Amino acid sequence: MTSDNPAGGEERACEPRSSGQASSAGGEERACEPRSSGQASSAERRGDRRRGLRARLGRAAGGTRGASGPPSRARRRLGSIVRMAAALALAGGVYSAFAPGLATAQDTPPLSGAAEEGKALFDTSCISCHGRNAQGVEDRGPSLIGVGAAAVEFQVTSGRMPMARQEAQAWRKPPQFTDDEARQLAQYIQEMGGGPEIPSGPLTPQGDDADALAHGGELYRLNCASCHTYGGGGGALSSGKSAPPLDNATERQIYAAMLSGPQNMPVFGDSQLTPDEKKQVVAYVQTLQHDQEPGGWHLGRIGPVTEGLAIFLVGVTALVFATLWIAGKS
Amino acid sequence: MRKRRKVDLRAMPGASANAIDERFQVARPLRGLFNKVFPDHWSFLLGEIALFSFIVLLLTGTFLTLFFDPSMEEVVYNGSYAPLRGVPMSRAYESTLELSFDVRGGLIMRQMHHWAALLFMAAILIHMFRIFFTGAFRKPRELNWVIGILLFWLGFTEGFAGYSLPDDGLSGTGLRIAHAIMLSIPVAGSWVASSIFGGEFPGNGVFLPRAYILHVLLVPGILLALIGIHVGLVFKQMHTQWPGPGRTNRNVVGERMFPRYAIKQGGFFMLVFAVVALMGGLFSINPIWLFGPYEAAVVSAASQPDWYVMFLDGSTRLFPPWEIRALGYTVPPLFWPTVVLPGILTMLAVAYPFWEARKTKDNRPHNLLQRPRDVPVRTALGAMAITFYIVLTISGGNDVVAETFDISLNAMTWAGRVGLFVLPPLGYYVAYRACLGLQQHDREVLAHGVETGIIRRLPDGRFIEVHQPLSPVDDHGHPTELPYSGWVVPKKMNRLGALGPAIRGFFYPIERPAEAPVSPGHPPVTSERPRDQLEDAGRSS
Amino acid sequence: MTQTHEHTATTPIDADGADKTRWEIVREGAREDGIEIVHYEPPFPVPGTKGERRLQRVVAGMFLFTGLCATAFVVIYIFWPWEYNRSDTMSNLYTPMLGLTMGLALTTVGLGVMTWGKKLIPREISIQSRHDGASTPRDRQVITSTLLYMGDELGLKRRPMLGLSLLAGLAPLGAVVAAPLIGGMIEDPHKPTEPGGGSPLTTTAWADKVRLTRKDGTPIRPEEVSAGGQITVFPGVPHGATNQHADSPTLLIHLRAEDADELRRNLHRYPEDEGSVWGNFVAYSKICTHAGCPASLYEQQTNRLLCPCHQSQFLITDNAKPIFGPATRRMPMLPITVNDEGVFEATSDFKSPIGPGFWERS
Repeated sequence: MTSDNPAGGEERACEPRSSGQASSAGGEERACEPRSSGQASSAERRGDRRRGLRARLGRAAGGTRGASGPPSRARRRLGSIVRMAAALALAGGVYSAFAPGLATAQDTPPLSGAAEEGKALFDTSCISCHGRNAQGVEDRGPSLIGVGAAAVEFQVTSGRMPMARQEAQAWRKPPQFTDDEARQLAQYIQEMGGGPEIPSGPLTPQGDDADALAHGGELYRLNCASCHTYGGGGGALSSGKSAPPLDNATERQIYAAMLSGPQNMPVFGDSQLTPDEKKQVVAYVQTLQHDQEPGGWHLGRIGPVTEGLAIFLVGVTALVFATLWIAGKS
Repeated sequence: MRKRRKVDLRAMPGASANAIDERFQVARPLRGLFNKVFPDHWSFLLGEIALFSFIVLLLTGTFLTLFFDPSMEEVVYNGSYAPLRGVPMSRAYESTLELSFDVRGGLIMRQMHHWAALLFMAAILIHMFRIFFTGAFRKPRELNWVIGILLFWLGFTEGFAGYSLPDDGLSGTGLRIAHAIMLSIPVAGSWVASSIFGGEFPGNGVFLPRAYILHVLLVPGILLALIGIHVGLVFKQMHTQWPGPGRTNRNVVGERMFPRYAIKQGGFFMLVFAVVALMGGLFSINPIWLFGPYEAAVVSAASQPDWYVMFLDGSTRLFPPWEIRALGYTVPPLFWPTVVLPGILTMLAVAYPFWEARKTKDNRPHNLLQRPRDVPVRTALGAMAITFYIVLTISGGNDVVAETFDISLNAMTWAGRVGLFVLPPLGYYVAYRACLGLQQHDREVLAHGVETGIIRRLPDGRFIEVHQPLSPVDDHGHPTELPYSGWVVPKKMNRLGALGPAIRGFFYPIERPAEAPVSPGHPPVTSERPRDQLEDAGRSS
Repeated sequence: MTQTHEHTATTPIDADGADKTRWEIVREGAREDGIEIVHYEPPFPVPGTKGERRLQRVVAGMFLFTGLCATAFVVIYIFWPWEYNRSDTMSNLYTPMLGLTMGLALTTVGLGVMTWGKKLIPREISIQSRHDGASTPRDRQVITSTLLYMGDELGLKRRPMLGLSLLAGLAPLGAVVAAPLIGGMIEDPHKPTEPGGGSPLTTTAWADKVRLTRKDGTPIRPEEVSAGGQITVFPGVPHGATNQHADSPTLLIHLRAEDADELRRNLHRYPEDEGSVWGNFVAYSKICTHAGCPASLYEQQTNRLLCPCHQSQFLITDNAKPIFGPATRRMPMLPITVNDEGVFEATSDFKSPIGPGFWERS
């Protein structure tokens, strides 16, 4: 607790206990011990033109000095403030002494440079739901130990994390972090608990493999279409959840999602879908994203629902207008 | 030298006509045909949309049969669509891919065929609604109504068989469900399913050729015959007409079929064809290359049948998990919403004309139509049925709705279950009250005249709206009450009330005030008459 | 109708010498069909007005535009690059261009014809009398007598034996016609596909020692499926992954430890499935017990299996019991184990029939 005393004079100066950790936003009390309140100020010796706090209080109370009678109201007030400060300091001090974070922080192995940056970002944006050490907070966020860089990169670059509110589905939205920051966060989580990582290098099949695209299509239809639909348009899951549309997914996001199994998506480990197979799936999804429809506008690739809507909204409407024009209203 | 016979071109039509008439005696029948009178109303053309789209289906379908191969033989694709190269598939699927990518113009023919099918079913539905709401199904046209319902189900079967022919992932899933529906039939279900498919699903490969012959020969044949009877009955019994001046139950007021009516029909055929062509080229439909060949282990989210089957998909999704198990036998839950429900709906529809005749104790022949507002019970029942149908159809696509609008899927199912029983009675009530309100308004106008929108203040301070009387007025200026004759009551001022705004037509005014003369010799009245002149006119009259 | 006009119908209309105009002939003839043309209004009684010429130009213009669009259609059909090429915009526009030109051509010809019909052809009001209702009493009498007399002529009343023998003999004849048509199609649903096998409706290709394989036939090891992952597996028999064994696709799921514990606890209520789980791995039939679609939407956190067709949801940790939607039966569990080679194999077929219910399924 620092006090601002514009009158100069006696101050309740407060120095935070050094702890070797950067300051954080929220949560931690910085224990503070004011200097003992018994110090006399030089102003006291000056007589009535004292401008010190106690002197002012003494004057306000009627100028009684040397409190031998009951303490004045002002003095009582001051005393209660001081006692409050002491109690807070005690509580804060005890907590800090016993809080696990402080103790273990000094025991973690040093992080790499990128991970340090990531940690800085993590500590401001993620710990309210995922905990100080990514261990998770009950009913708020799961543990991130072992999810790997892939998961973090997927969630952060698609803007899903930080999540706006607790709900069944994390929605894609404009990302809060740049790609570099996302990689730093990913590196931090990777070093905290390990897990799958997106491989370096190209994420689509290289070379002139004509079969790769077809194989990717077969894998997509067997494993992905049931939730994301045959055209990548996204589908509903139970109770408010959904498998999102794939039109905005980047190569890295597609690969990372398969690898990490975000939210309710199953995990497709590297021994189940080999990296080559994953690349084939990525290539196929890209054809869905980029290939032009040879038969005209695809109406959202949703299927018979939009086709039925189109025939009524376009075909039947146009023809009913035509009938109104042809025949009279007689 | 042989003498060359002189060919007189000008005499040729006469000579041909003579030749035909000598053999077939066509003079009188042709006249009867050409002169036949048809009434003129826009809603009478809705059935034509179905007829013309059927013709488009026949034309495009014939083209498709020249390239499609209804064979389940397994092949490996090696055509121009790269994402499927090397994939094993049936010959049926491969020939459809070839049609789409390797036949010049094949894709637009396929798409036109499919859009025309959707249009055919949509037209049947709105035509049926028109017949229902105007009472055209009453005696003597009950048989035509029944034939119409049969045409709906035949079109349904034809469409289902048609889109199942390519053996793609989406329609194959639909066939799986169709198989399960057959299985669910009590007692004989497993026999029916296994007989039609040739064994356990997907069968020994005989189903596709059967669906093909059904789709290109059997059902089109029955459809053509029934459509012929349907239209023939309209010819024989003559079209119904709205009541109005000069129209009675024993005549038809309209225009002769040739030349004007027939030309308009021809033009309309071109327009229907144009809509199908535009949609077939500009809107992609049924992109089977994205579905992949049918595999039993593969399915896509947002799997729906075509829209006209969707009401059954909806009833299936909404039906609760109720299964009957007794004495070692099972009636699965799929039976009720897919077999029993459409059966009940069809029975209700087929029986309706007879039931209504019984209820209203009306056995007279009716050739005059009724305005929907004049039969509020029938209109409300129709509104209830349509609401029921719409809830089912939307529920058929409830996962698409859930995904598009971020609604919980489970909530959509419950909303459908509840809505199916809550919304139709609500629809009934709203339609009923609307009909009564409209009837009331008609009677008001008949009693008091047309509202002109001109407010006049009487000397004693009261405000009244000036009404334009429709009938002769008595001494006090009140019009005598007119009886309602079953036709539209004019609600807007006509030429006599030329002070009013221009009569609104559909896209532009029918009459502009400046053009409407008040009486011969009187200069045309404009609506921009200065106020004081109006007052003068009022005082002097 | 024609009876009363019979004598007038045979003689020409202007037999009285008065030279009738063509219009008058038409009108007289229409009367013979019961049609009275009460109002006939040519739109342009005075030929050559500006309005008429303008309309003519409009209609003619429409027809010429039709020709233009139709020609464009033919030209595009022949010369536009049409062969499918994924990256080529031009060839992807082939179908839309064809549709556009065809549609425009048909629209303008339709509009042209319609304008001609509406604006240039005389408007008329004709009234045709209906001749509906029953036939005349005389006709009814004649036909009734004819029909009844036909009955007399056939002599069925006099010779009852003829009628009875006809029925007795011809009814089976009807069956002769129907028999091959229907009978040929009849297929016993319970006939085993191979000798010694069970009914196809209650058995699949799975059996003891049949390996779980991927689509390409390679077997599966436990370490290949991550926790929270699932894989579609097929029986390791010839054509096991094809539609020939459409009842056999199975979903192998690797549950997380706590979910697997919950599953094992719940299996106490289903003794026949208790030993069917291997470690944290469980395998369920993929074919939905409602209508047969593959129920493949596995939600790894809620442990629900959602079928996309009718939204049935099954709880994986409770022996795939249906918890929402129209399905009534749980998905059958495939009893699995890992053999000496370290790959998954089944220990028997499913313990209950897979897929949608049917009458004989108890």
